Amino acid sequence: MTDRQDKVDWVDALLDDVGGAAPADPSGDLMARVLADAEAAMPAPGGAPVREGLWRQMLAGLGGWLSVGGLVAATAVGFAVGLGALSTVGLDALWLGEYGAYYDDTLGFSVNGWDFEEG
Amino acid sequence: MTMPLDAHATDEPDEAALLARYARGDAAAARALTLRLTPRAYAQAMRLLGDRAEAEDVAQDAMMRLWKIAPDWRAGEAKVTTWLYRVVANLCTDRLRRRPRGPVALDEVAEPADPAPGAEEHLQAEARRSALAAALAGLPERQRLAVMLRHFDGATNPEIAERLGVSVEAVESLTARGKRALAAALKGQAAALGYEG
Repeated sequence: MTDRQDKVDWVDALLDDVGGAAPADPSGDLMARVLADAEAAMPAPGGAPVREGLWRQMLAGLGGWLSVGGLVAATAVGFAVGLGALSTVGLDALWLGEYGAYYDDTLGFSVNGWDFEEG
Repeated sequence: MTMPLDAHATDEPDEAALLARYARGDAAAARALTLRLTPRAYAQAMRLLGDRAEAEDVAQDAMMRLWKIAPDWRAGEAKVTTWLYRVVANLCTDRLRRRPRGPVALDEVAEPADPAPGAEEHLQAEARRSALAAALAGLPERQRLAVMLRHFDGATNPEIAERLGVSVEAVESLTARGKRALAAALKGQAAALGYEG
């Protein structure tokens, strides 16, 4: 058996000894405090408050995707006409943009996801 | 091997379902989650910190984070038990890293209030726990979690892989590297901790 293996073997034994110890029981006081926290932080019955991102709030304020789509199209057309470039750019480019995907991929917020530190 | 991660009966609602009910204002779900998860969080914290007051603070803090995240929880992305396990581990690691470093000798361990038969074993067990916890705190997070899940919770490599979202081969590598790092961090302490001679 190598020296390196010996070192890991006793660490294995240490891990098993510490891991095999009987788990400590929480006090009644701790359980009561945690339950009090839970009740204090609990959303009102019927539904959780929905947290919306800034972009979604702005979108709702402007009247939803349909209104914003019209606004974006009108702005783009006006811009294109202004440049005299409508014939070379084409309107299709305006509708095929992936703004929705940009929102989901770039601005979306993943609650449960995590990045582990290096290791 | 005393605290399986999913010890509750399979016919009971899982933690994600309970958390969703809690987010809708279900007080019974709050009680069920408290009873199910607080003992695990506390036991995990005690194993790492060895101090009742600190372990209670960590368990309460971790559970509070769970209550706060409940409305935003996305079922299916991570298991509640794994999320909580990681939160507790990180909170404990933060505290351990703020503690003075260095090997733990038996005479540094607090004496029990009433020395009795078994007191020496208690001191030895506490010295081992303390030394191991300090060494674990120095590991990168994924190595630490893989080693803890394997040895403290009895999880198999496929179970650890699922919980950490990595391959089984990656788990084998993480645990092997973690234990080598622990051996290096604990170098010279084997005899003092009762593993030689």
